[in-house]
Amino acid sequence: MKGLIKGLGVTWKAMTSKKVTYKYPDVPLQMPDRFRGIQHFDPDKCIVCNLCAKICPTDCITLTGKPNPDPEKKGKVIDTYDINFEICILCDLCTEVCPTEAIVMTNNFELSTYSRDDLFKNMDWLNGNNELIRQENNSAMPKGGAKKNV
Amino acid sequence: MIRTEELLLNVGPQHPSTHGVFRIVVKLDGEVITEATPVMGYLHRGTEKLAESLSYTQIIPYTDRMDYVSAMTNNYVLVHAVEKMMSIEIPERAEFLRLIVMELQRVASHLVWWGTYLLDIGAMSPFLYAFRDREIIIDLFNELCGARLTYNYMRVGGVKWDAPPGWIDKVREFLPYMRKRLNEYDKLVSGNEIFLARIKGVGAYDAETAIAYGLSGANLRCTGVNWDLRKDEPYSLYDRFEFDVPLGVNGDCYDRYLIRMEELRQSLRILEQALEQFPSEGETMGKVPRVIRPPAGEMYARIESPRGEIGCYIISKGKAEPYRLKFRRPSFVNLQILPKLLVGETMTNLITILGGVDIVVGEVDC
Amino acid sequence: MSEEQKDKETKLERTNNVSEPQSEESVKPDTEVPTDTAAEAETGSSPTANAPASTGADKPMRAPLTEEEKAARVQAAAEARAARAKAAAEGGEGSAEAPADKPARTRDKAEGDAAGEEKPERPARAPRAKANEEPPKPKEPSPKQPLLDRLVAMLKADVAEDAVEDAVINYENDHLPTVTIKNEHWLSCAHQLRGHLEWSCEYLRNLSGVDQETHLEVVYHMINLSTKAEVAVHVKVDREAPTVASVTPIWPTADWNEREAYDLLGIQFTGHPDLRRIMMPDDWVGHPLRKDYESLDSEV
Repeated sequence: MKGLIKGLGVTWKAMTSKKVTYKYPDVPLQMPDRFRGIQHFDPDKCIVCNLCAKICPTDCITLTGKPNPDPEKKGKVIDTYDINFEICILCDLCTEVCPTEAIVMTNNFELSTYSRDDLFKNMDWLNGNNELIRQENNSAMPKGGAKKNV
Repeated sequence: MIRTEELLLNVGPQHPSTHGVFRIVVKLDGEVITEATPVMGYLHRGTEKLAESLSYTQIIPYTDRMDYVSAMTNNYVLVHAVEKMMSIEIPERAEFLRLIVMELQRVASHLVWWGTYLLDIGAMSPFLYAFRDREIIIDLFNELCGARLTYNYMRVGGVKWDAPPGWIDKVREFLPYMRKRLNEYDKLVSGNEIFLARIKGVGAYDAETAIAYGLSGANLRCTGVNWDLRKDEPYSLYDRFEFDVPLGVNGDCYDRYLIRMEELRQSLRILEQALEQFPSEGETMGKVPRVIRPPAGEMYARIESPRGEIGCYIISKGKAEPYRLKFRRPSFVNLQILPKLLVGETMTNLITILGGVDIVVGEVDC
Repeated sequence: MSEEQKDKETKLERTNNVSEPQSEESVKPDTEVPTDTAAEAETGSSPTANAPASTGADKPMRAPLTEEEKAARVQAAAEARAARAKAAAEGGEGSAEAPADKPARTRDKAEGDAAGEEKPERPARAPRAKANEEPPKPKEPSPKQPLLDRLVAMLKADVAEDAVEDAVINYENDHLPTVTIKNEHWLSCAHQLRGHLEWSCEYLRNLSGVDQETHLEVVYHMINLSTKAEVAVHVKVDREAPTVASVTPIWPTADWNEREAYDLLGIQFTGHPDLRRIMMPDDWVGHPLRKDYESLDSEV
């Protein structure tokens, strides 16, 4: 019996201790800055280098570029940029390799939708998703991923 | 006319106590099991086949999802294998971060095991206590690398993120808190007569069986075999720290329980020493080429995950993708002893024994 | 180059069962030679590259080589590698990559996986110069080399003269002795490894099947927990009718591992108590992990 009584003592003590439950969803959850939520895309910064599409482990990023409409500037400008959120695993490898930080993660994790079509996010949506963008992106990695002979 | 027949019972694949999608086909004679056949493959995602078309950095998120309860050790085994093949040196701060993170992960994983094991046996409150404490660790990881379960934290050559300011102090505060909690858990459970009656003497086997079946982790040490990869084949910085390896005597579920609780305490001890020796500054990534191409060859690297020996066997032909990547998963190998142990046991002991083996089905199926 | 030639021959004298000098086992010595020598022409540090140069022209494609030739080549490669590893250890951090790269590659060649292996791309590396300063020196053999020699001798004596096809030390993997054993002798060799007093590797850690494109292979890693002696064993299996003796009677842990190899690669294990599919559904057709596997739904 003694073991049972000692155990009960612990349980009763827990009744009077501080509650640790979060009252989510009434109280929104604050995620730390590095949290990997859905991405935010800034088309002005994108240089269409395709590194994000190449590194994605599930191949969920598809993008096309068009030549720069401004005849003086060289390089490409982004035309379409889609992320398929059915298969994105939020691993943030794309933000790790992006040399210009055009694609960054936000802290937005509430991604449920009622239809699968809504999960195919295009550029406008990703651009508009500009709340809670995380500040610290590649703190350990130099821009553009690991450099040769770093 | 009354007669008895053998009953074929299906435990799973949807079952709250099988720790995942896992099925055991059990032949029962009354309540006594005459034969048990595990059936797995419900969670087979083809990681090994996928890995043959992905570069090593791309495989790291996949390793997280194998043993999802202790993802850091999975990350580490892959990264360690590649680094050994390429003979890359890791800066000390990165190695310390890895070790701290792995030991915290061991604490978290054993807490999950403890909570779910006791829940299977019938006690509801330890489950919530365990998960409350695990939340603290998960929040620490959330601050460190941005995810709660699938961290994608380690990279070939180091780690991705450095510790944010204040993180090390938070880990330091966590240790005495956890110790206090562990004493409470002992009071709650370890002396409980009902618990002891259910666990003692159940599912016992001897050292020779354990070695023959290739068991590892607590399943091997409960029989008295002193084999812990952190001590016997030291990797990372484990040879700098003092810690004990708890051993069992009888090889039953109670010994495994005690061993894992003691391993929790030893992990806290390692963490304390690591935090003392933590270098205050340093790089988090070593010198790594831009494209990771290990030289042609093969490598079998193994570490001690909370479940046992996890190994990563890579055959590389010098390209950016592995030619063959095989994971030696501890849950898969440890589970082989289940059919042998279950013969002659009652149905109630099936759950006890299965929980004592500590499997994660994501790892069983890979 | 000549000194390496000479050095190679002296090394070959030390190995036993040598009837001929170096011979090439890889299928593509020709493709590898030019790039090899090109990449290292200035340094000239590849005794193994010399081997293809000398015999590549007359080597028949995919002709089975005798074990002596393979053993000899591999012995030479192992010692070359040992020297380079030593050189690298003295030479500095970058050069570690250079020795690890080449010898591992030759070891792969030596183990006879032929077509599946193409030349690894080698980014230009400045540190290579360091490793090449000292190659002609007699290589310091690995500390586990005597162990490996004893193992090979034991297997040759107790099982069969030609049981061991190949024996190397895998330097990066903590000097793991790696042997390749012939398929028909595998069961007896396994009994030896388990029962012989010096070895008694009672803990089989890992059993994996590999699809090297010309043949299949089963790889075993085992260890003796008290003496920590470890061995890795490769057993080559035919691709058309892949059968290998099951070691489940010796190490019960091989049970499910062999079922997994059967399921995913199609390797039949004779003597296995219950060989059926384990991961895939029971009525699945095909073996997914094979390189030529066509999945049902390739869009996925």
